Amino acid sequence: MRIEKCYFCSGPIYPGHGMMFIRNDCKVFRFCKSKCHKNFKKKPNPRKVRWTKAFRKAAGKELTVDNSFEFVTRRNEPIKYQRELWNKTIDAMKRVEEIKQKRQAEFIMNRLKKIKSYIKFRISKKSSKTSMLSEPLLQAKGSIWNRKWYSRCKRMWIWKTNQ
Amino acid sequence: MAHYNFKKITVVPSAKDFIDLKLSKTQRKTPAVIHQHYQIHHIGHFYMRKVKFTQQNYHDRLSQILTDFPKLDDIHPFYWTMLLKITRATPSTARQKQSLAYLEQVCQHLSHLPTTDPNTRTPLLCGYPNVGKSSFINKVTRADVDVRSYYLRWQAVDAPGILDHPLEYRNTIVMQAITALAHLRAAVPYVMDLSEQCGHGLREQLELFQNIRPLFINKPLIVVANKCDVKRIAELSEDDQKIFTDLQAEGFPVIKTSTLTEEGVIKVKTKACDRLLAHQVETKMKGNKVNEALNRLHLAVPTRRDDKERPPLIPEGVVTRRKRMEMEEPKKKRERDLELEMEDDYILDLQKYWDLMNSSEKHDKIPEIWEGHNIADYIDPAVMKKLEELEKGEELRTAAREYDSDSETVLENESCSLGVDMDNKGDAHYSVQEKKGEDSAPHSSVAWSRSCPQTPRDVSGLWDVKMVKKAKIMMKNAQKKMNRLGKKGEADRHVFDMKPKHLLSGKRKAGKKDRR
Repeated sequence: MRIEKCYFCSGPIYPGHGMMFIRNDCKVFRFCKSKCHKNFKKKPNPRKVRWTKAFRKAAGKELTVDNSFEFVTRRNEPIKYQRELWNKTIDAMKRVEEIKQKRQAEFIMNRLKKIKSYIKFRISKKSSKTSMLSEPLLQAKGSIWNRKWYSRCKRMWIWKTNQ
Repeated sequence: MAHYNFKKITVVPSAKDFIDLKLSKTQRKTPAVIHQHYQIHHIGHFYMRKVKFTQQNYHDRLSQILTDFPKLDDIHPFYWTMLLKITRATPSTARQKQSLAYLEQVCQHLSHLPTTDPNTRTPLLCGYPNVGKSSFINKVTRADVDVRSYYLRWQAVDAPGILDHPLEYRNTIVMQAITALAHLRAAVPYVMDLSEQCGHGLREQLELFQNIRPLFINKPLIVVANKCDVKRIAELSEDDQKIFTDLQAEGFPVIKTSTLTEEGVIKVKTKACDRLLAHQVETKMKGNKVNEALNRLHLAVPTRRDDKERPPLIPEGVVTRRKRMEMEEPKKKRERDLELEMEDDYILDLQKYWDLMNSSEKHDKIPEIWEGHNIADYIDPAVMKKLEELEKGEELRTAAREYDSDSETVLENESCSLGVDMDNKGDAHYSVQEKKGEDSAPHSSVAWSRSCPQTPRDVSGLWDVKMVKKAKIMMKNAQKKMNRLGKKGEADRHVFDMKPKHLLSGKRKAGKKDRR
């Protein structure tokens, strides 16, 4: 029993779900749902389709290079079962996952921080241009901007926890 | 040695038929018509051709018959005696008829003979009718296709039951059997019926045996006591038992068989074959040709290189297997046996055959998946080392993060500078991670957050009063048409009257069609 990765969106494919397509050159493509399958048939590169993980990694929106990713590798020679080793591995795995998620979240936060500062810069630029703006509106605008940013943060957090 | 197949001899037609055949053939094959105006030598030619053709045909056919028919001198004395018998059997009147007809009869008789090769070694089964010879053959031939796979094939010959009559009155088939006995190189298992089911008592069978014995002089003989499942030698009377012991004393091995239970059948076969082989070797040795052969032969033996012993290599497995076969150990208990034993309780547990480092762990249930990850991908003997490194790295990082300004405080400071009211910090969005278990249930769904956005839609994306006004005007403009037409919204395409009467009825003049 194995959890595979969807070719298009890089999501997990649990057993009993999804479809598998085998091309004439013996390359195997697995899809988690028909959305991915249909998109694949329409031929665009998943690296250009915004909602896929491949896009996010390629566009630098998510952590790609890290020590914690090296724990997961596909091994060609299976190792004989040893209870001790299996137990240790499972504990290690849990800890590694914790660290991995922390690091990924940190990366995203950093990125958003940068964006935020840029937005702030833009606001200041704009405000220097338009002097007719009233105080309450400025306040409102400011609060709007903040609220937007907060909402973005929250949405990001929600999305992350759902992953 | 050639294998005679008498059935392939060409048919010899009677004299009258022969002539008719040839003439009709000539008629068919040669030109049939002459014309009056032909020159005389041409006509002569024509007839000569016919004559020549007939002559040629006769010659061919007769020579073919002659060549096919076996010469008496060439053939094995087996067949020769057979032929003599046949000539004696055919009535004398037939011989006086034309020779072709006689030949024909002889041929027919020959074709009835069985196709046996007189020079291969044969175990020749003899015995009374109903003694069990045929069943013996069935058993043997089912077990081995060739009786003994030597480089020359063996063949088993079944002699139909020999009745004990004086020689003159025996019928032709029996005569055949007897002639065969005399001339074939055979080992003779003489089959006797112990239980006397064949209808002839033991005494009678023995008498027959003694009668036929002169024919067996040069052949190795075995006495086969068949049907021993019905009656055993030990159960016979003392006199009868004595007979058997006598026989054994004379040098004829007695073997008990039963074609039903297959006891001893193979023994007989092997014994007969072995004895015959030995017999043949003996006769060859005694003959003249042996010395000639011996003079030409020389056995070369290699000289020893050193005193080292070099015994033949027999692998261990073979030795153990041989021992096991001799001792006939009970077989290992198989899964199937176990299944039959346990019946309903049986569960196929293949894990017990696993070869692990610690055999106590054989029956563990091995986990494969955890929280969306495959455990098999993480298994590595060096896992702990890697983990240690990772932990070290993590420690360093956390230390570094503490020196960095805390993201939350930064947030708070900046928002204060922008004029946001920071009093109700408890409800702040950025501190969701502390509030995780409490009221965050409705808030944590993405759908909910989408349906109630924080910025109102009519000002979202707009940063100017002018823009806001314009947006409003645009909105109103878009709605005018809809309102005038009584539509519920922009997606309302409902048609109230599909077929208005004033447009579809009446004459077409005065431009009615223009308004449809």
